[in-house]
Amino acid sequence: MAESSSQPALEVDPIYRNSLREAKFILGLWACCFVWTVGYCYFYGYLSHEPLAGSTGPAVTNLLGPLKSFDRDPKSLTYPLDLGVPDWAFYGIVLPWVICTVLSFWYGLFFFAEDDLSDGADEEEE
Amino acid sequence: MGHTSTATIITFVAYILGVFVLAGFSHKLLSKKSFMGEYFLGSRGLGSWALAFTFAATSYSGGSFTGYPSLIYSYGWILAFWIASYMVVPICTMGVMGKRLNQVARKSGAITIPDVLRDRFESTALGLFSTCTIIFFTTCNLVAQFKAGALIVEETFNLPASWGYVGGLFIFGFTVVFYTSYGGFRAVVWTDVMQGVMMGIGVVILVPVVLYQAGGMENVDKMIHEQPPTLVTSIPPKKAFNDLYVEAIGEVQPAGMRYRHPNRADAPLEVKWNPNDAADGGPFIDVFLATNAQNETTSTANDVKAAIESHPAVGPLVNVGYAFENEEIDPHTGESKGATGVISLAAAKTLKYVFIRGDEALFGPGRKPDGSPFHPLGMAISFFFMWAISGMGQPGTMVRLMAFKESRTLKRAILTVTVYFGLIYLPLVFIFVAARTLLPHIPQEDSDKAMVLVATRVVSEMGLGYQILAAIFVAAPFAAVMSTVDSFLLMISSSFVRDIYQRTFNPNVTERVVKWASYTTTAVVGTIVTVIAMKPPDFLQFIIVFTGGGFACTFLFPTLLGIYWKGMTRQGALASMIGGFFIIVGLFSLGYVLPYFGIDMAGGRINLFGFHPVFWGLFGSCLLAIVVSKLTGPAPEHLVRRYFYKQPPKAD
Repeated sequence: MAESSSQPALEVDPIYRNSLREAKFILGLWACCFVWTVGYCYFYGYLSHEPLAGSTGPAVTNLLGPLKSFDRDPKSLTYPLDLGVPDWAFYGIVLPWVICTVLSFWYGLFFFAEDDLSDGADEEEE
Repeated sequence: MGHTSTATIITFVAYILGVFVLAGFSHKLLSKKSFMGEYFLGSRGLGSWALAFTFAATSYSGGSFTGYPSLIYSYGWILAFWIASYMVVPICTMGVMGKRLNQVARKSGAITIPDVLRDRFESTALGLFSTCTIIFFTTCNLVAQFKAGALIVEETFNLPASWGYVGGLFIFGFTVVFYTSYGGFRAVVWTDVMQGVMMGIGVVILVPVVLYQAGGMENVDKMIHEQPPTLVTSIPPKKAFNDLYVEAIGEVQPAGMRYRHPNRADAPLEVKWNPNDAADGGPFIDVFLATNAQNETTSTANDVKAAIESHPAVGPLVNVGYAFENEEIDPHTGESKGATGVISLAAAKTLKYVFIRGDEALFGPGRKPDGSPFHPLGMAISFFFMWAISGMGQPGTMVRLMAFKESRTLKRAILTVTVYFGLIYLPLVFIFVAARTLLPHIPQEDSDKAMVLVATRVVSEMGLGYQILAAIFVAAPFAAVMSTVDSFLLMISSSFVRDIYQRTFNPNVTERVVKWASYTTTAVVGTIVTVIAMKPPDFLQFIIVFTGGGFACTFLFPTLLGIYWKGMTRQGALASMIGGFFIIVGLFSLGYVLPYFGIDMAGGRINLFGFHPVFWGLFGSCLLAIVVSKLTGPAPEHLVRRYFYKQPPKAD
């Protein structure tokens, strides 16, 4: 997106620049959560990784190959910190949820630029 | 059935009155400001709390709000995974586009999403196509939501079956159409805040109460571990007491039970059992239902229960009982007559139920009653896109991002919603996993009521304060439906009045005409939807997922790339929008049509490679936007200059 503009006199809109920076941070955060949560929960939280029963075509579950060794044994379940949350859900969901909340606050308090929206905007209201 | 208490009715009525009062206040403001900007957008004056709660309330629709607890009840902890992307939903849906979309809309004076697209790309075609898409998806969704609302009213006030649905529909329709058309955007936002605050308080208080009653979460988990493998039958359509639960207790463990049609007339009821039959993951307890001379099944659930219990080999293997509230009570003696409903099954059909161990509720993937996985990997991936990414692309929520006052408002709203969702969505898992031990054996198709049942049962012996709390929970799905419907109603009337009438046909329309056109369209659309909903569609959840996905696939990338990518052209935007629309409509409708050609698509949609259609629609829409823009570029210089660069001091 770094197309240099033909008009050197023009100054890039600061709200556009700041918003883009913030959007990239957020999408990056989403991607991290996605990889961690889906990966962790699928590998450590599923009793069975068998291909879909009755699915004929290639499904994403089938593409990953045999994951039988990851099938969870119900007896191995623990509850970290005695919170009553199954271990896979604790590390795969609750923990990243807490981290995301902290990061959202960090984003809001320190990363987010409080641009002035009324500046340069032609309000249509008379 | 019959869970209504006086506290519930009082809360419900008070709630509806409260909504009317808010509409009245909002209407007063209307006369003071520029009508259209106020009616459809609250004059871009939303504060943090208002923005936060209107956002939260609009994003959880009636379907998802009753649906989520009932799914937790049915499948357990896997729902924490299903909902997991809500950890980033607030920051994604509000943060990625919020500030920039607000700015772009201000630059052009847009008050609807089609407005934004039309101005950003200077394309009437784009404006009109997006308007038509909004009208199409919104109408589908509204009909489904109206049905949901009508059912809740019918249920809450215990209206008689003969006219209960229509009565409920009119009460619901009148309430929502009245306050929306009279009060406009601000009334909608204020009711959203009221609903959001009530819900939050309700969940936060209900968690300790339920956990206390269930003896703590540890105890819940222990009980779940010790539950014997169980199946609960649920036979559609639901008209009679015909559900049973079966627990496997014997040495030999059957895989499940099958109701089978014997495929001949005048057959007796027969239970068959072959412990060595491993076909289909067996062995299964096969129940061949009795038939009459017309080859219709005639066995009642009572008959089946007796036949299984008296079978010498099968009897000792299982316990059979009546599913939750599934007994006919003699009105005179008060005694139970059991499950007296006939199990109706079409010729040559089989209904399969598998035993599901209690501890399966603590893990993935969760199994449906017929044994297929509830949340396989493809769905897990899709749902991460569905909530966070597709949530960004909803015109109903995007339009709220155009309505806040200053950057600081947005920031505070993001933080508020982050905390709010964290406090609501995870604790709900605790409540409804615990509900499995408090109220066992609710058949799947009744589990939509899990929320109401838990709320009312758990507090039935507690003080009035708690009963009102429970009543709030009963009102919650109603509130959730209303908060979705009101914003959709406004969206559809803004489409007609602003996007079609004012911007396409008559730009010089007077304020007076706009005013009356807006009131009338909102009311007329509401009335039309009420009439359509009188003959209600099936598959509520299906329609809601379809329209939510449809919106995302048509609106997300044209808007997102439109505000962030200088190189986006109008052809790119149009291709992205049309492509996304046809992919999602295609995959959904093919799933609906193919079964007629003998190709069975469970769930009524095509999950290509195991991914949800929404995933494919988003993918295609994004790809088309980029490729077509590259081919048709570069984008017009004056648009890039207008939207991406600082404006020179006003010359005109």
